[in-house]
Amino acid sequence: MTETVHLSSPGTRWAVPDPRELALRIRLRAVRMVAPHGFGYLGQALSSAEQVAAVFASARPGVDRLVCSPGHYVIGPFAAAAELGLLDEEAVAGYGQDGSPVEAIGTERSPVMDYTCGSLGQGLSAALGFALADRFRGSDARIFTMVSDGELEEGQVWEAALFAAHHHLDRLIVLLDANNSQVDGPVDSITTIEPIAAKWSAFGWHTQDLDGHDVDAVRAALAQAAAHAGQPSVLVCRTSTGHGLDCLPPDADGHFIKLPPALAAAAVAELTGKLEALRA
Amino acid sequence: MPEPSGPGPSVPERPVPNPSVPNPPVREPPYPTELKPYGRALVDLARRRDEVLCLSGDLTRQCEVDLFQSELPERFIHGGMAEANMMSMAGALARCGHIPFVHTFGVFATRRPFDQIANAIAYPALPVRIVGFMPGISTPGGPSHQATDDVALMRALPGMTVVDVADAVEVRQVVGAVADVPGPVYIRLKRGEIPVIFGEGHVLRLGQAEVVVPGHDVALFASGMMLAAALAAARALGEHAVSVSVINVPTIKPLDTATVLGAATGAQIVVTAENHSVIGGLGSAVAETIAEAGLGRRLRRVGLRDTFAEGASTAPYLFGQYGLSTQALIETIWSTLGRPGPAPGAPPATAEPGEYAPV
Repeated sequence: MTETVHLSSPGTRWAVPDPRELALRIRLRAVRMVAPHGFGYLGQALSSAEQVAAVFASARPGVDRLVCSPGHYVIGPFAAAAELGLLDEEAVAGYGQDGSPVEAIGTERSPVMDYTCGSLGQGLSAALGFALADRFRGSDARIFTMVSDGELEEGQVWEAALFAAHHHLDRLIVLLDANNSQVDGPVDSITTIEPIAAKWSAFGWHTQDLDGHDVDAVRAALAQAAAHAGQPSVLVCRTSTGHGLDCLPPDADGHFIKLPPALAAAAVAELTGKLEALRA
Repeated sequence: MPEPSGPGPSVPERPVPNPSVPNPPVREPPYPTELKPYGRALVDLARRRDEVLCLSGDLTRQCEVDLFQSELPERFIHGGMAEANMMSMAGALARCGHIPFVHTFGVFATRRPFDQIANAIAYPALPVRIVGFMPGISTPGGPSHQATDDVALMRALPGMTVVDVADAVEVRQVVGAVADVPGPVYIRLKRGEIPVIFGEGHVLRLGQAEVVVPGHDVALFASGMMLAAALAAARALGEHAVSVSVINVPTIKPLDTATVLGAATGAQIVVTAENHSVIGGLGSAVAETIAEAGLGRRLRRVGLRDTFAEGASTAPYLFGQYGLSTQALIETIWSTLGRPGPAPGAPPATAEPGEYAPV
């Protein structure tokens, strides 16, 4: 494996010519990462592909940070990094395998992200720590922070939301993946978290509510958030854990998708075709 | 994760332990006291070290960092009543090269944010200093406010250094002593008036246990607030032909196993004294050490016997009621040695205002 890089590591370089294409490639790459296992956190990659693509298209290499609060979502940033040449093929092939540092649920050894944690609801607090440290040193680095809607059930997220607004941490941008999915089923069948955007607004955040699968909309929202001064920003990205992969059965468990060989082959064929169509 | 960057280290000013120079003898009780030695020591360290930050969980005056807030406000952060968030933030600040000292009562510093400390501080082995005030039953505030399992919790975390200092001399020195520990540190501190047990010139040696009184019948290991009681018990027993060695154990993890085994080997019985549950703290650490060494010594652990501590308006009542008194130590040692007749009585705990005597 090559030297571990994170988005904010000095000297890290990448370019995203077409975020729509990158989102497609994230999906295809994620299918190929999960396929050897026959199941995995594919739904997280499918719902967050456009958010991850938009972050890589918007972040300043070697400056801005990426926090992936839900450790189960690291597959998306891993896939993007692999497609952008930041993670070599050998490392990606080790995804979730015995002895590999590229674990399926993010760890301290995980490359790409500046912070991740498999114990949910903690990433936003770490993002605040980065924001404070950046403020101490006079850096204007942005901190792109992926948070999932299920994590809103954890009290710590709201502790962090209060703190960020009180301290006007306006370099902080949360991409909230509202895919309505958690282990026990749809989030809204377990806990009413709506109205999500109104809650963040009430907590003092600059809030945008948008289609999380419209990569141009996500990019535009990130740009607006980055330009917004005085408040932290949240993008409530409305998504689905099956988005962009029509061959998945409608009752697929979004938290942990089963991907037997035949389905994996169909998924690769479908996404390869879409990619060729996009490039044509 | 990224390499820390940021303020560079400077030279710490603190007494440098020299193993060839023994510490002076301990004072005689009643001990003089010092008020809030911690708060001044932290400000002194922060003036020498730009990386030091002070975080407080809505207990600023109670944790003696009101001085820091007024003298170095730009490096003081109100965490509010949000310990989970505060610990996770402290971890990220440490990743960026800061040395955060995080303050709240020991019970709130360990029970509430245990998962955050594990994931955001201990697992990445970051130099966060968690400072928990009001150890054990030093407060009559009831079980909700008593840190009676904090040592056990912190000791279980890989790489966590756990410190329970005994007097004002060590409180002053512990701040500088932990500054450069590469990983996380948990320090439990008594509030307010702190006895001065050690003499002029005493040097805290982090990571070392110290035989402060030699003896050959009993090896009595004590940490934190129980050192004064251990010294009093040793003195009383000495007058009845029981020779007690008192070993101060300010660093409970990593335990100085060489000193523990040396002292235990030279004694008939081993007794531990801790202001904490007997499960998971000093007593457990000593038990594990002597058992793994195959050392056959009778062991008695004095501390909270698997219980919460209720019903008090004063801490001394609790120390007496729950068996953490000088008398309890004397009786434990007397009976374990099989001495005939009633155990000797503890010396009366007389202390004028501004003085300290153990219960």
